[in-house]
Amino acid sequence: MNFFLHIASNLVKGPVPGDAGGEGASEEISDAELVRRCQKGDYDAFDVLVTRHRGRVYAMIQNMVKNEADSWDLAQEVFVKVWKALPKFEARARFSTWMYRITHNVVYDWMRKRKVETAGELDDNLLDRESVAAGAHATPAREVRPDEALSQGELRASIEGALEKLSPEHREAILLREVQGLEYKEIADVMDCSIGTVMSRLFYARKKLQSLLTKS
Amino acid sequence: MKNDRKEELLTRWMDGGLSDEELRELEPVLDESPELHQERADYIRLREDLRAAMPAEVDPPFPDYFNSRLGRVIREGSGKSSSVESPRAARGLNRLWFWWMVPAATGAVVFAFLLGMKSGQSANPTAVVDSAAGSEVYSPLASVSTEVILDRESNSTLLIVEGLAPLEDVDLAVGGGFRDGRHGYYVNTEKVY
Repeated sequence: MNFFLHIASNLVKGPVPGDAGGEGASEEISDAELVRRCQKGDYDAFDVLVTRHRGRVYAMIQNMVKNEADSWDLAQEVFVKVWKALPKFEARARFSTWMYRITHNVVYDWMRKRKVETAGELDDNLLDRESVAAGAHATPAREVRPDEALSQGELRASIEGALEKLSPEHREAILLREVQGLEYKEIADVMDCSIGTVMSRLFYARKKLQSLLTKS
Repeated sequence: MKNDRKEELLTRWMDGGLSDEELRELEPVLDESPELHQERADYIRLREDLRAAMPAEVDPPFPDYFNSRLGRVIREGSGKSSSVESPRAARGLNRLWFWWMVPAATGAVVFAFLLGMKSGQSANPTAVVDSAAGSEVYSPLASVSTEVILDRESNSTLLIVEGLAPLEDVDLAVGGGFRDGRHGYYVNTEKVY
């Protein structure tokens, strides 16, 4: 499904150079070059950046907030903030790390606001884990056998369940390290804390995750 | 060894990122707690499961619309002297389009089928239906989906509304009840399409 959406996207927008999002590759326009063009007001360059990074931003938010509609809105908000802040971006960090930092801020603002709004209320969305939003990508990327699909579904459910029981800081540290593959220093930049704090969060988050999954 | 240092070394050991010197530093801890070797092996398996279950990249639903809407929000925002409007500022409308998309698309397919039956009698069937691009319809009911379709042949615009409560029998009686049209039943209308 993602493959067809990707093809459809490219048909509309033309080829997207550098889907991997890496910087410095020779045959594709790097993030750094696209950022420079954006800083001169080139919206087409920004559109390429969005297409290149929206999947990672959306996945990160989705894994933090567990709601597809909110994730969609928040991912939009992230890119609006990225566009607004691009003139001030000095490329001291990688663009993707900076973008994760904005994603972190947007998600934590949302969590704080939601905590205030839902204080004392039961959040149905958090309980209704079977619900699937309209347009959700519920189709696996490749054909899988029914028994394999069941096993993968169970595995995902148990991992998601365990991740949800972690504190937001521990969950984010695990997601940034294990899923998004960031270095410790990058995680520290994103979460605005020291590398020592990142190490500590990873240490306890991993222990807790193992403990929860062993129990389940 | 200080606790912070131990946590750091164990975390990096789990990731296979220790130098020989650091490994030697950690050895007394590992000798004292041999179960850590099993924990490490278990965590490496868990990490593989985690990566298999949680993709690093998932395109948002309707990715093209994601880009086009973002472009519109930014363009609209750049025309204002104040800051760019947050997409969530129009949350109510956002949510509605999100939940409408699938039923609206289904409605459009059904309507296209019906018009296709009609256009079979037309001299130029391919020119009959166009989606009215750029139209947005607001409904206060989240359960209601809408689709705007331009019928070029009759120079008219059709608004499909789905998800309304069924008409009561008394309303059907007032409207004359069901009528048998050429392509099916039509309610509360004198006109046969």
